Amino acid sequence: MKKKLLSALLCVTMVASLLVGCGGKNTSATTDGKAELALVTDLGTIDDKSFNQGAWEGLKKYAEEKGISYKYYQPQEATTDSYIETIGLAVEGGAKLVVCPGYLFEEPVFIAQDTYPDVKFILLDGEPHNADYSTYKTGDNVMPILFQEDQAGFLAGYAAVKEGYTKLGFMGGMAVPAVIRYGYGYVQGADAAAEELGVDVEVMYNYTGAFAATPEAQAMAASWFQNGTEIVFGCGGAVGNSVMAAAEDAGTKVIGVDVDQSSESATVITSAMKELSNSVYDGVKAFYDNTFPGGTTSVFTAANNGVGLPMSASKFAKFTQADYDAIFAKLVDGSISLYNSTDDGSTADLTLNKTTVTYVE
Amino acid sequence: MDVIYFIFQQTMFFTIPLLIVALGGMFSERSGIVNIALEGVMTMGAFVSILFLNITGDFMSGQLQLILAILIAMLTGVIFSLPHAYAAINMKADQVISGTALNMFAPAFAIFIARIIQGVQQVEFNNTFRITSVPVLGRIPVLGQLLFANTYITTYIGIIVLIVSTIVLYKTRFGLRLRACGEHPQAADAAGINVYRMQYAGVIISGALAGLGGLVYVVPTSTNFNATVSGYGFLALAVLIFGQWKPIKILYASLFFGCLKAVSAAYSGIPFLNALGIPSYFYKMIPYVATLVVLIFTSKNSQAPRASGVPFDQGAR
Repeated sequence: MKKKLLSALLCVTMVASLLVGCGGKNTSATTDGKAELALVTDLGTIDDKSFNQGAWEGLKKYAEEKGISYKYYQPQEATTDSYIETIGLAVEGGAKLVVCPGYLFEEPVFIAQDTYPDVKFILLDGEPHNADYSTYKTGDNVMPILFQEDQAGFLAGYAAVKEGYTKLGFMGGMAVPAVIRYGYGYVQGADAAAEELGVDVEVMYNYTGAFAATPEAQAMAASWFQNGTEIVFGCGGAVGNSVMAAAEDAGTKVIGVDVDQSSESATVITSAMKELSNSVYDGVKAFYDNTFPGGTTSVFTAANNGVGLPMSASKFAKFTQADYDAIFAKLVDGSISLYNSTDDGSTADLTLNKTTVTYVE
Repeated sequence: MDVIYFIFQQTMFFTIPLLIVALGGMFSERSGIVNIALEGVMTMGAFVSILFLNITGDFMSGQLQLILAILIAMLTGVIFSLPHAYAAINMKADQVISGTALNMFAPAFAIFIARIIQGVQQVEFNNTFRITSVPVLGRIPVLGQLLFANTYITTYIGIIVLIVSTIVLYKTRFGLRLRACGEHPQAADAAGINVYRMQYAGVIISGALAGLGGLVYVVPTSTNFNATVSGYGFLALAVLIFGQWKPIKILYASLFFGCLKAVSAAYSGIPFLNALGIPSYFYKMIPYVATLVVLIFTSKNSQAPRASGVPFDQGAR
C-alpha cells in the first residue's frame, strides 16, 4: 500500500514537473498565440545579462514600437538537433523572422536556412557552416552579424591608459576569435594612448582556457594586482567575476565585457560593449523595410554604433566624454585601423611602440 | 617578503576548502562508507548558502551573515548526504553509484532552482567578509602578515575543524567506535556498537563539512555562484588518499596541493618565478604527478580503512 501511494505520488510529481517545464517559456504579447518575430535562446535565458538578453531587448524594442507580435522559444538542451527543433517550433508558431544569438547556432542555421526558405534568420556572432566547417553557406534569407570586438577592446585599452593606468592586464576566456579580437584591440588601444601621452605601458596577457570563475583565475588576477597591475580586462564570461573578486581584495579596477557589467561589482569602471540590441534592432528594421541584407555578413563596428563603451555608466575621472568622442570618431572615419588577425593570438604578431606585453601561457 | 605573504594568503584560498572537504571525506570513509558525492554536496552547500547571501544581501552583511551562511551550508550538506547514507547503509547499495547520482543531480538542481527563483542561473553575492587585518593579532611582525591579514574567518574555521577532527577521531569514545566500524564492523557490532548509527554519523559529518567546503570555496574566488565547484570535491578525495586518511597528513597534503595550485596560477605575477620561464603547465602537473608517485610507493602498505566501501552485513564473519 505504502509503495503504491509512493509511486502514485511520484507519477503526479513527474507529470506536474513536465507541465511546468513546457509551459511558461513563452512570455509576451500575443493574442492568438502566433508571433511574427521569434528569438530562440542558446544556453542562457533571455535575462542572462549577456547575449540572449541583448538580442531580446533589440527585438522587443522594435516589436513594441511597431506593434508586432513577438515571442521567444527556449530549446530543451544545447544541441544542434534541439536548436533545429526549436526553430521549427518558432516557424510553426508563425515566425517570419527568427533571431538566433550566439555562435552555437552556426550549424542549426546552416541547416534551417534550406528547410525554411521563406523564413528569415538573424545569426549573431557567427556565419552558417556545416558540422565540420568544410562548407560555409549563407542563404539569401540569413543575415549573419559579426562584431569588430577589436574596436571595443581598443576603446577600453585607450580609455584605461588615458585614465592614468600604465600597468594593465588582459584575462581572456578561451582563445576563440571574438576573445582574441578583444585582446588585440585592447593592447593596441593602450599603445595608442601611451604614444599620445609619452608613457610606457606594461600589459599582462593570458587566456585562462575556460569561461568559468575558478580559484585559479582569481589567484592569477590577484598575483598580477599584487605585482603592481592596476586594471585588468576580464574578457571571458565568468572569468570576469574571478577578476572582480581579486580586484575587490586588492582595491583595483576591472573592465567588463560584452554588456555593461558595472552592476556586478563596484570595481568595474567601464565595459567593452557589443551593441547587441542595436544590431538586432537594425536587422529587424531592415526586414520590415524590405532591405533585409540576406546572403551577406553584416559587420557591426564603431561606424554603425555596433561597439563602444557605456560612458554614462563608466567611472572615469580623467577620461572625458569629449576624449571618447574624439577617439571614437577616428575609429569611425578609419584613420585608426586595427590589426585583428586571429591566427596567432599570442600577441607576438602585434607591432607596438610604447607597450610591453608579457604573454602568460 | 610581500611575495611570500601573498603566496601564503593565496595558498589558503586553495588549501582550506580542500582541507575541510577532505576531512569530511575522512569521517565518512573511516566509518566504512565511501563518499564520492563530496563534489555534489559541495555544490549544494555552496548553492543554498550563496542563495542565502544573495537574498539577505539587502539588509545583512559582514561576519554575522557569513556565519549564518556557514550554518546553512552545513545543514544543506547534511540533508543532501542523507540519501547517500540511506542507500549505502540501509539499502546496502553500491556506494559509488549513489554518490555519482548525487554528483550528477547537484549542479542540475542548482541551475533549475536558481532559474525558477531568479531567472538566471548565476547567483550573485556581495562579498563583505574579507578581513583586511585582524585587530591586534594583525600587527604581530611577520606572523601577523602571514596569518592575520587579508583573510576570511573561514580560514580559522578550517583550522578549528582540523583540530576538533583530530581530537574527536583519536581521543574520544566516538572516534574509536567510528574507526572500528571502518576497519571491522562485525567486530564492532559484536562489541555492542550500533554500526548503522556510527556510519550515519560518519556520512552526516562528511556532508556538513563538504557543504561548508563548498561555501568556503566560492566566497573568496568569485562574485557569483554558477553551479560548479570545478572538481574540487574530487580533488579533495585525492587529498584524502594522499593524506592516508589521517587528519594531520591530510593537512600536509592539502597544503601541498594548495601551495602548488597557488603558485601555478599566480606565478606570472611573481617576478622571480616568471623570470624562470617555466610554463604554467609544469606547475599544474606537479600535484598530480606527485600524487601518482606517492601512491606508487605507499599503496602497498596503504592505510585505507579496511571495510571502506563494503556494505555492512551483520551476518558475515
